[in-house]
Amino acid sequence: MKKIYIVAGLMIVVAIAMLMNAAKDLSTYGSFSEAAHTGEKVKIAGQLSKDKEMYYNPEQDPNYFSFYVKDAKGEERKVVLLASKPQDFELSEQIVVTGRMKGEEFVASDLLMKCPSKYKDEEIYIKSEKKG
Amino acid sequence: MESIQYIGEHLLPGQIGHFAIILGFVAGLLAATAYFFATQRAALPEAASWRRLGRGAFLVHSAGVLGVIGMLFFVMTKQYYEYQYVWAHVSDDLLFKYIFAAFWEGQEGSFLLWMFWHVVLGLLLIGSARQWESPVMAVLALVQVFINAMLLGVYFGDIKIGSNPTLLLRDALDAPLFANADYVNLIKGNGLNPLLQNWWMTIHPPTLFLGFASTTVPFAFAIAGLWTRQHTQWLQPAMPWALMSGAILGTGIVMGGAWAYEALSFGGYWAWDPVENMSLVPWLILIGGIHTNLIARNTGHSIRSTYVYYLLTFILILYSTFLTRSGVLGETSVHAFTEMGLEWQLVAFIAAFFILSAVLLTLRYREIPTPAKEEATASKEFWMFIGTLVLLFSALLITASTSLPVYNKIVQFFQPGFEGRVITEQVAHYNKNQIWIGIFIGLLSGITQYLRFREMNWQTQRRKFLLHAGGALVVASVLTLLVTLWIQAKAWQYALLLFAGIFAVVTNVDYIISFLRGNLKAGGSALSHIGFGLMIVGVMASGLNKRYISSNPFVMEGIIEDAEADAKERNIMLFKGTSMTMSGYEVTYTHDTLVDFMRTYTVNYKRYNQQGAVTEEFNLYPNVLYEKTFSKIAATNPSTRHYWDRDIFTHIRSLAGVEMNLELRQQREDSLNYQPYELRPGENIQFLDTVKIRNRDTFVLKQFDLRALGLNLQPTHPDYQPEPGDLPISAIVQVQREGDDSTYTVEPMLALRGRLVYSYPAQINEISTRVRLSDDIFNRAFVFDEQLDYKEYPLKLGESVRIGDLSIQLNQFTPRPQHPDYQPQEGDIAIGSVLNISDSAGKTWLAKPIYLIRNNQGLGVKDVVKELGLHIGFAKFDPTTEIAQFFIARAAPPKDFAIPISVATDSLRSDYIVLEAIEFPGINFVWVGMTLMMIGLTVSMAHRIGQKQNAA
Repeated sequence: MKKIYIVAGLMIVVAIAMLMNAAKDLSTYGSFSEAAHTGEKVKIAGQLSKDKEMYYNPEQDPNYFSFYVKDAKGEERKVVLLASKPQDFELSEQIVVTGRMKGEEFVASDLLMKCPSKYKDEEIYIKSEKKG
Repeated sequence: MESIQYIGEHLLPGQIGHFAIILGFVAGLLAATAYFFATQRAALPEAASWRRLGRGAFLVHSAGVLGVIGMLFFVMTKQYYEYQYVWAHVSDDLLFKYIFAAFWEGQEGSFLLWMFWHVVLGLLLIGSARQWESPVMAVLALVQVFINAMLLGVYFGDIKIGSNPTLLLRDALDAPLFANADYVNLIKGNGLNPLLQNWWMTIHPPTLFLGFASTTVPFAFAIAGLWTRQHTQWLQPAMPWALMSGAILGTGIVMGGAWAYEALSFGGYWAWDPVENMSLVPWLILIGGIHTNLIARNTGHSIRSTYVYYLLTFILILYSTFLTRSGVLGETSVHAFTEMGLEWQLVAFIAAFFILSAVLLTLRYREIPTPAKEEATASKEFWMFIGTLVLLFSALLITASTSLPVYNKIVQFFQPGFEGRVITEQVAHYNKNQIWIGIFIGLLSGITQYLRFREMNWQTQRRKFLLHAGGALVVASVLTLLVTLWIQAKAWQYALLLFAGIFAVVTNVDYIISFLRGNLKAGGSALSHIGFGLMIVGVMASGLNKRYISSNPFVMEGIIEDAEADAKERNIMLFKGTSMTMSGYEVTYTHDTLVDFMRTYTVNYKRYNQQGAVTEEFNLYPNVLYEKTFSKIAATNPSTRHYWDRDIFTHIRSLAGVEMNLELRQQREDSLNYQPYELRPGENIQFLDTVKIRNRDTFVLKQFDLRALGLNLQPTHPDYQPEPGDLPISAIVQVQREGDDSTYTVEPMLALRGRLVYSYPAQINEISTRVRLSDDIFNRAFVFDEQLDYKEYPLKLGESVRIGDLSIQLNQFTPRPQHPDYQPQEGDIAIGSVLNISDSAGKTWLAKPIYLIRNNQGLGVKDVVKELGLHIGFAKFDPTTEIAQFFIARAAPPKDFAIPISVATDSLRSDYIVLEAIEFPGINFVWVGMTLMMIGLTVSMAHRIGQKQNAA
């Protein structure tokens, strides 16, 4: 079995190397100030500022959508997504954006939304009419 | 609350269902126990009776499971919303074909689906497993007990065990509504998530859950082998089950990918989503197990590994269940189930089987036989085993990355301030590592086919091996070069992967031809490996070379600021009827149709050659699905054009806001700058208005020409649904804008229903103009009864009355009267009258008012002589005296009047779609490759079963 052990040992070494390498892919959720400071691509989890303007006007540019996000540290910035406005965006609460700062704006290349689940707000829909 | 006597509830099916759950649980427990003793006391005479008891108990358990399923289907099809599960997953408008999808949309339903397959597999095992029946069924029954416990819905103190699908809504929720005894009649169901309303949701979960359930069988055999110390005997009967499981679980995963690609808007078939990953990982381990199982049966090596792989496969299925059902994935996955508060029960499920496996394996480890001689370097078993290590390695890497949220949760438990770690670029992260797995597997699956078990006759085989391997190397290299003419490899790692895929195809095709002499029955493995190679080629082609064709660099010129932005310019705006050029296609959004809640858009693609002739033309039909209220869009579905060598995928990313949101439409209508105009029919009006030039803050003054052609009293409008008693009217208006050659004729419309006026303005998209008819038209065009001064006149047949210069004579009664305003109903007693009217000049007219009795009530249908402004109502008829009462009033007929209309010139057009179109080259290689892998597994399974039967 010796050769097998050698191969297995080799693989463990490679695995450790890969996982070390993979650690670079990991990050904590960043903040806007950090993004502005480092200029690196960061992932920011924050709350959608529903009171601020959400701008999407496909007549002008179908690939431009902007909104405001408040990050975990409470800093609020304008976020620009160079894509169309996702469905049900207004309903989302927590938002995860990946991107980097460009001037005063955070340009996002990717966006994940967390919508309140259909079942969480357990309200019962009352029929408008009685069942016939 | 207890005192309320509810009405309309159907409690019996729930009671039967709950009984069936408990019966299933108890019988499952009994089956597991009986089979346990049947195994433990196998040598004793009592074993047979233990086994009989086990069988009987399992049959009762099966009846219990089928009973719950049947009951749940029954209440769902009957729409008994008093049941929480029905209320959550069914609605009145749910089509019957989606009832299955609704059934397994929820956690409880999917647990039942899983149990259903275990029941089917268990019955098959009872019929076929012979001496393995007792230990294998003991394990299977134990698994069933754990799943069944997920449905118990009992409380021990504060600890909830299971979630009962037969729970009543009023027990699940606390709402004031339940104070109403008749609440059942007042509630309606939530229904199935519109995204899941397609046939994929009907076929994908059963396949995947059969895949999940089938991994239990090799697991049970492995446990049985360890338990009964028959370390070599279990390998043979487990093999066909493992192959079947590999084929079905694999098919389930492929279906998930196909669903994502065909029906969802992901724009791809694999996104390294945690849920996808965690169904892939057990499959990888299972495939590893199948390979070591083969080695073990041929050489006696790798029995321990086979144990580990089969045990691990099932443990990972449980872990995957935990991840998708516990809510721990939270924001990292798009399609996990919603939480149901059973996390600890799921953990206990995993822990129980993990500990069972670990303890048994440790206890028996030393006694598992291994050959003294190690595998030879040039033997099949050596390289095959390396291959399984690569698979294990891949599975561990994926599991580690996917488990990051679990790691975060654990660390946070001990260290509350810990900020969770996340993978910044998920897809890139997985691809970067898994590319090497692909390369190794591709190369190994090629080379290993040429090797023989135990290095048999290596000295004579060596030449043949080198010849074939060398030949394949050359052929694969040349093919790789040719393929790179078609698709780009983009980096050397990708080029290597592409080569590895092609190498696997070439070697395995060669293997079938040269070694198996075309005997495909024995060539299951070769087929699977060809499939793997083709899949790699397809992934390289469609993934690496996918191209957003919905961009128009010419139009975007000057708007794009940098390269990164450019990459994101993936959508194009298409106005209805206006062609756009994108990536060599002329694309036109020609029309759209609304059926129920689905609006389907027809998008026409044309490609021209240099002479300007159309070389290729097709239509795609992406659609959007509205919510029931039309207030927003619930789902969008892509449409794809398939070619043998590429796909064109089309998806609607957005619509005009007013098309997506009813409220916004109203707001927009209110915000328009309408200007009122008074137009006599035939009259022309000119006015100047400022017009904003799109995208720029510039305005120009343009002259508009407005002309009213007349009124239409029988107008139609696509949004207008006529109802009896409506008074509709429209104006025919012509609009022309300076600098625009066309004259647009439109018909803004109003409808008076009761006391409400419904307005249907007309939009002229080409000149961003909207025309509305004002309410005042009703007062001008019609005379209403309230304004008339009616007088009563009793008349007998033949009598006449004078009003001004008019003489009105009652001429006739008619038995079956007709009038445009009169819709006869069953049971009406109606009398028509004919009145002759003449003036002093001798001109005559007729009026035919009607009197009827409907539901014991007298009603009149009046007639109007428009020219005279004469309104005649027939109010009463006395059959004894034969006197008819008429109400007659005269008003000046409406003369020439102006039509009041309003015009807004700032109504932006809303007839556009924001389209995303992606070209996927070579995607069929992915599907063909994946399918071939599964066919290969099935062929191997059939081959094994055939061998076994021949041997028996």
